[in-house]
Parts: sequence; structure tokens; C-alpha cells
Amino acid sequence: MARLELDSVGKAFGAVHCADGLSLVVEPGEIVAVFGPSGGGKTVLLRMIAGMFEPDDGDILVGGRSIVGAPPEQRGVGMAFQNFALFPHMSAQENIASGLRAKVGSGEVASRVTSISRLLKIEHVLGHMPRELSNGQKQRTALARALIGNPEVLLLDDPLRNVDAKLRYEMRLELPSLLRRSSAAVLYVTQDYREAMAIADRIAVLINGRLVQVGRPEEIYARPASVAVARLFGDPSINLAEVTPQAVQGALCAEIAGTRVLLESDERTPVDHGVCWLGVRPDDLVIARDFGEGAIPARIVAITPMHERAVLLLRFADGTEWLAALPPDAMVGSAEDSVFVRFAPDAALLFDRATGLRIGPQQRRQAA
Amino acid sequence: MDHSSLAGRIFRGVALALVLVFFMFPIVWILLMSFQTNEQILRIPPHILFEPTLANYEALISGQLRTAAGNLEISFMRNLMNSFVLSSAAVLLALLLGVPAAYAFARFKFRLGESIAFTLLSFRFAPPLLVLLPLSLYYQELGLNDTYFGIVWVYQLIALPLILWIVRGYFEDISPDIEHAYRLAGHTWREAFTRIAVPLAGPGIAAAGLLSFIFCWNNFVFALILASADKQPVTVGALAFVTASGIQYGQIAAAIVLSVTPTLLLALYAQRYLVEGLSLGAVKG
Amino acid sequence: MAMLEIRNVDKVYRSRGKPPVHAVRALDMAVTKGEIVGLLGSSGCGKTSTLRMIAGFESVTSGEIALSQRRIDELPPAKRKVAMAFEGYSLYPPLTVRENVAFALKAQQFSRSEISRRVEAIARLIEIEDILDSFPRAISGGQQQRVSLARALVRDADLYLLDEPMGQLEPQLRAVLRGRIKSLLAERGMTAIFVTHDQTEASALADRIAVMEEGVLQQFASEKELKNRPANLFVASFIGEPPMNVLETEVAVGDGGFRLSAGADIVFHIPGDTLSRAARLALEPGKRVRVGIRPQKVAVGTGDIRVRVVSNQWLGDQSHIAGECAGKLLIAVTPNRIAARPGEVIPFALEPRHLHIFGADGTCIRHAEGG
Repeated sequence: MARLELDSVGKAFGAVHCADGLSLVVEPGEIVAVFGPSGGGKTVLLRMIAGMFEPDDGDILVGGRSIVGAPPEQRGVGMAFQNFALFPHMSAQENIASGLRAKVGSGEVASRVTSISRLLKIEHVLGHMPRELSNGQKQRTALARALIGNPEVLLLDDPLRNVDAKLRYEMRLELPSLLRRSSAAVLYVTQDYREAMAIADRIAVLINGRLVQVGRPEEIYARPASVAVARLFGDPSINLAEVTPQAVQGALCAEIAGTRVLLESDERTPVDHGVCWLGVRPDDLVIARDFGEGAIPARIVAITPMHERAVLLLRFADGTEWLAALPPDAMVGSAEDSVFVRFAPDAALLFDRATGLRIGPQQRRQAA
Repeated sequence: MDHSSLAGRIFRGVALALVLVFFMFPIVWILLMSFQTNEQILRIPPHILFEPTLANYEALISGQLRTAAGNLEISFMRNLMNSFVLSSAAVLLALLLGVPAAYAFARFKFRLGESIAFTLLSFRFAPPLLVLLPLSLYYQELGLNDTYFGIVWVYQLIALPLILWIVRGYFEDISPDIEHAYRLAGHTWREAFTRIAVPLAGPGIAAAGLLSFIFCWNNFVFALILASADKQPVTVGALAFVTASGIQYGQIAAAIVLSVTPTLLLALYAQRYLVEGLSLGAVKG
Repeated sequence: MAMLEIRNVDKVYRSRGKPPVHAVRALDMAVTKGEIVGLLGSSGCGKTSTLRMIAGFESVTSGEIALSQRRIDELPPAKRKVAMAFEGYSLYPPLTVRENVAFALKAQQFSRSEISRRVEAIARLIEIEDILDSFPRAISGGQQQRVSLARALVRDADLYLLDEPMGQLEPQLRAVLRGRIKSLLAERGMTAIFVTHDQTEASALADRIAVMEEGVLQQFASEKELKNRPANLFVASFIGEPPMNVLETEVAVGDGGFRLSAGADIVFHIPGDTLSRAARLALEPGKRVRVGIRPQKVAVGTGDIRVRVVSNQWLGDQSHIAGECAGKLLIAVTPNRIAARPGEVIPFALEPRHLHIFGADGTCIRHAEGG
């Protein structure tokens, strides 16, 4: 099988740069999630690989051979679309069979359609027309159509977007093993960080046409390259405060809403960095009734349970609002209560105020 | 809030009936006239009850127009045939040219694309009579005067813009992703066009074909000027009923019934496609 | 005291040539003053019809709706004293955001300074201060949704109706805005009903959640109660992320209690003294019942159920592990990272006290201890 290589690919529509020097290698059998906010250029990237747009500069290679300029049908690329893009005038069976590139006998076609549809659990709807299928079945049919031709590169454009929550969860469990079976190089576009983390071997974070960070999911979660990346991973998203870290008696400290808190530091952390963003994930906050060293006094504004956790909206004395996500059985209290908030020194991430880039220790403790 | 009170429903029924009567009256009246003699028609006040006669239809079909001044030869059936041949050929040609063009305008952005599309539409703006004089001179020069081909060609002024603009809309409604998906599966753009785009725009193409057929069928001036008696369609042929001895209302009515029937049947048949065309949006996603 | 009372309301849509659609069936619901209620269900469950009947955009087919002790189901929408935020935002395009938000206040004859004070306050809360002078077409979908929310919340009304109020909000803002809006509603004692298909949103905002399915109110209770004491199998498997593991088992009597077996490898022993009398009667030997256990209650790494790992996904704050045992897929969620690769065999523990038991008709026979 062949690897997919993007070599400083650029594309602009007018003044908008949808892709700006994108370089990425996807090995055969590897799943790379392209994740980022909408309008970040994810879909344009997929479409350049599929041949619907051509890049302005740079090169796209499959198995070492450039595919730029080749018509879509000769690129060896399979794709599943967010809106399914099934052929409405063909049955599910015909839809899937149309994905077979090679000219094979009708018996062979039937047996391959049967085996792929068994894998995707849509055997019972093969005779149905697309309009008679549920969204989940439509997406499975579209996946079967993309997979059946054994493409060297498989592009999935937010395939679970229009599928209901329960099915999306099921697909999230099934997809990785399904995709690996094909040993294609897979690019998976999504707007849901959990989906990206669950499915991908690596995640490529695409913001404003640039790849801001490429890495393993846990790596990106624990050590985001910039404050923008940090804000994209986590729900509720990371809490931020503007701080000026200072060395106090040999330890790095910062002041949040009038309270001095201890930060982790090593030789890479410049002591006099100036103004920084300090970020702490909501699940790294600890809430206590009583004051302790480095505890920030706060008022609980509201409690909004989510994802099996209690999420507290906290307001500090200076008006800063932070969110804390606690396990459901932890002490919660109720709205209007006064509490104290703490976090471990190694839970805090520091980002440069001007560039947004992360500064400070390379090794952040692995979460939990 | 739904208006489901009894009074509301009655009012709605009455209003609908009135509108129906208003629109249907001329057609019903013509149908009745076609079964009456000229004398019965011209009676004042008109009678609703009368003894129906098939004489008008007989005269049309046999080609013998009996008037007070004697028998006249008319070629109504030939005109009907001409209408049929001319309109069908014109629509066929327009579809052959217009559907690929519509696809191109819908899918590809090219220089002057919009201007060309608009120019084609603007053919419909010009009053036909204005175009006709120079056109008939050219036609004489080219030897196209009084040929079927010449008339079919000039009918493209009617059919082509219509097909182009209607079908273009249908092509634009098909998600390009559907075609992309087909091409990624290893098919050329020609295959994507013939196996995906055309079948999906089928209802729209049928509707556009039908509409342009009706427009061609109803055309009068082009054939009046550019064709002689044996190539003239039914619209021009109807002039024969205005005779020296008076206007043959009964036969005109019968002629109208006969010439409306094909298009009416076609429209009823194609209604299915029109409805399908409207619901295409439901399967796009 | 009930602020809103819905008594035995039915809604039937009739359209010619189609069978009538019974969208809402015999709905009884009372909402107390100051309560935030979420109508939760999948599309077509009747939740939006219910909201529109309260707002007055749909008539009730039968039954009554009363707001502050006055019957409102016959009144036109404008006289019901309800404020609504629409799913499609429905902002007035020729008006600026500020004018949109202030629109209803002007009609209510507030003074100019009062209007601007209120608009500024809600704009700060909902973070639309910097777009107050923009026009709706110039702002993003998420911003439009916030404006639509502000326009409803700024009014004085007996009841606030919010249709999918936060579906389009930017993910980074959503959690904070939920908290602020919840606190605003609580602070002012506003009564609100919102419709959503997203249970995260329902549990985050609502004091009580009404779960609807096929036009029928399945259960109307707090989020905790829905999770710990689901009335039936539908609620049990609808509420909770990821959904509850459900296994079909056969009942047998033994060892001073009941044995529920889902195949040879998965057998649960339920001591008789943990069951109510009714539950003991319902568990007839030979009968088939379904047991459910929340993925969060499945212990990984201990226990006697050997599962083959199908997937093991770390989401940054929790692991989702899917394991297969005798053809059945079990899902476990733990806050810890588990080092198990797909294909490996690991133990899962499904403790009997964590099991919910459901009868053949789906009603709950026994709830899990402590949820």
C-alpha cells in the first residue's frame, strides 16, 4: 500500500488562505484526524487530495507519485462525505457496487458487496433506495462505497456529523478497526475533539489554513502547542487567566484574582517571561470548602451537570469566570456557595500572551 | 392556528369553486361550441341545451369546409401533423444542445459564462416580429425558406433558452458531491454526466421539454412568415376558418379542441414528472 | 404552586390523504414557578409540538393549558405573556442586534434608559456587546443564536420558551453561557421551558427533564432521578452517555435469590432480600428480563467476566473500553487510562447491585443501588 504525502501545499481563494504550507505524511494503515474549527480549511484540504480543487503550490503524492493534475478517477482515492452523497436513483447495493474501480465479473461484484455490507451491518437494507434509509444506514452505505474499491487513500469528511448521537457513539467504537482493515492511508476530518481522539492514531490540528500541531491524541491533549489548540481540546474547554509569572523564593508563582499560586517550572521556563496566559483544564481543578495555601476564593455561580460530571461555573473576586468539572460523587455544594479552588502546579499550562505559544516544561504529567 | 371551523371550510369551498368557474369557463364554452352549428352558436341569447352535432369534427377530418359560399378545401389534419413534427423535432434538437450546455453553465465557472447564458435567454426578449423581417431575407438567401429544417431552427429561439435555464437550475440543485463521489469511484466525467447528472435532472429535463413543446406548438408568427401552406402548423392553419362568407365558429372551436388535446394530454402525463422534480430536493442530502 | 399546567393535552395533525399524526398524547405536566424544564427527545417525539402549543403557534386538539392560573390555550400568542427564542433565530433582518433585542421592550412601553440598561445587561451576560450595532446578516450563526436568546430573555414574561437554545453556540462558549443563563434564570425566578435533543444540554440547564418519545411523556424528573431511577428501559437507555449496557437474561431461582443469566459466561446473582415483594413476584423463573448497567459502573481489571477488547479509546479525561463477551458488546467508562490493546482479554466486573432490571414490557422492576 502507499503512503500519502502533502508537501507544503498551499491554496488561496482570493485573499483567504485555506491552506498555507501544509506538510503531512500519512502512512498506510494509519488514521490521521484533521481537526480544527470550522472555516479552518479542513474540507478544502480533503478536496484538493480528491481532485476537486488543485493546490496553488506544493505537491500531493500517493506512493511517491504526484497526483496533482490527475483527474479524480485516476487518483486511487476513496471518500465519504458529510452529506453522504449517495446516488438517489440507485439502490444501496448499486451505490456500493459503483465504488468498485476494477472491472470484475458480476459474481465477484455481488460477493464483494455482500462481504463489505456484512462488515458494516447493512446487509438487510441492500435493496433499499437511499431515501428509505436512516441517516446511520446512509452513512454506512457511503462508507461501504468508499471502502469497497480498496483505495490507497481514504478521505472521510466529517462522516458522523449527520448521524444521531447513539449511532455516532457506536460508529466511533467500530470505525478504527474497520478502517485499519483496509490498510489505506486515512484522513479523517472532524469538528469533535472527542471523535478525533477516539478514532485517530495522530491528530493534525488545522487552524486558519495552517497545521498548528500534529501528534498523538494524548500528546496534544496534555501538551498543546498553543492556547488556540488548548481551547479546542476539552469540553468544557480550558480555563484561562492572564498572569505574570514571577520567581518567589526559587519557585515560580503567579497571581490569579489576588491569590498567589505555585507553578511547575524547570530550566526551560524563563522566569521573567512577562505576561502569559495560564490555562488549567476544568477537570484539574479541586474544590474545597476551606481555605488552604494557594486556594483561590470563588463563588459558585451555577452548577451545570454534563458528561456524567458536575460542571461548576465559578466567579473569582476580580470577575474572572472559570469552570470546574468534578466527578459526580465529589463535593459539589450549591449555587451561591463560597468555595476555594486549587490545582496542582503541574496542571497549569503557560502560553505566551502575544504569540499564544506554549512555554514552560516539556514534560507535563500524563493526565490521571 | 388552523382554520377548521365549519364556516371557514364552506367559505373556502365556495371561493375555490368561483375561481375554478372563472378559469374553466372559456375552455368549457369552446368544448360546447365545437358540438354546435354556426347558427346555434350565433343565437341570442345563447342556449345551454342543444342537440350536439359532430359535423364540425367531420369537416375538419375530411378536409371539406362547407360554408354558405360553397365547399372549401382545408388541410387541417396536415397542419396538425406539421405542428406535431415541427414541435417534436424542435424540442429534440433543443434538448440535445441545451442539456449539455445547461450542465456546463451549472457546473463550470468559465469566462463570460454568465454573459453567454444571459445572451441566450435574451433571445426570448426580442419581439419575434422584429426579428422576422431580416430573418426571412436570410432564409431566402440560404434556401431555408419553407423547409421543415428552417422552421425547426427558428423554433430554437423559443425552446433552447427555456430548456437551458430550467435544466440549469435542476443541475445546480444536484449536490456536486454526488458527482464527485461517482468520479472518485473511477468514472470519467462523461460517465458522471450521463449516469448521475442526467438521470437525476430527468424530471427537470422532462418538464423543460414539455414546456418548450407547448411554446413551440402555440407559436404563430414564425411559421406564418417562413412557411407555406403545406408546412404550416395548426396555429396558422386556423386562419383558413376566416372565410369570405364569415367566420366558422363551430369549426374553429372543434379545431381548438383537437389542437389543445395533445398538449393537454402531454401535460397531464408529465404532471408526475413535475411533482417528482419538485421533490428531488428531498433526496439531495 | 404551579406556574404552568398542561392538562391532558393531545395534538393530532391531520392532512389530507395521509393518516393523522398523533404528535402528543395525553400530556400532563405541571411546572412550578422559577423552575427550568427541559423537553428532551429525539426528532418527532412531540417536544416541539408541545412547545409550540404553549407558545400558541399550534392549537391544542384537546386538553387545557393554564399559565399563572389563566387558561391560555385559546388566546393568541401575543396575549399569553410568553417569550420565545426560536430555533431558526428569526431575527429581524433590517434591525441591528441592539434593536432586535430591544424590540419587545419598546412594545412594552419601557423608558428609553430602562431599555438601554436592560439591553446592555443581557448583552454583557451573553457576550454580544461587541456586535450590538451589527446587522443579523453580518454575524455568525452562533452569534445569531445568542442574539435570539438575548431577545427572549430580556423581556418580562411569565414563561420563557427556548427552542434548541444552544445547539449552534461555539463549543468554547457553551459551557460558560449555560452556567450564566442558569444563574440568571435562578436569580430572577424566571420560569423556562426549553426543547433540546441533546441530553448534555438538558442535564446542564434543567432542574427537571421531561423525556418524550412518540408523543408520550416517559418520565418527568430531575437528571439524577432519571439516571438513578429510570421509569422504563427507554429512559434508561436514552439518558446517559454512552448509553447503558443492556443484556437479555433468563431468570432462575437459586442460592436464596435469583440467578439472571445472559449465556453461560455472564451470570448475575441477585440476593432475594435486595428486592421488593413486587420485584420478587415479577421475576418468574424461566422468564426473560433485561438488565442494564451504566458504563461508568462497569469496573475494569477486576471481576469474573472475561471480555475481548474491541476498542480502547482515551478521550483526555476518560477511557471508553468496548469489550466483547459471548457475542455481546459491553462498554466501560473509567477516568483512568487502561493499557489494553484490541484483541486482549481482560476482566470486567458487573456488580449485581449496579444492575437495573426491566420486565418484558420495559418497565423497571428494580433500580440499581444508589444509581
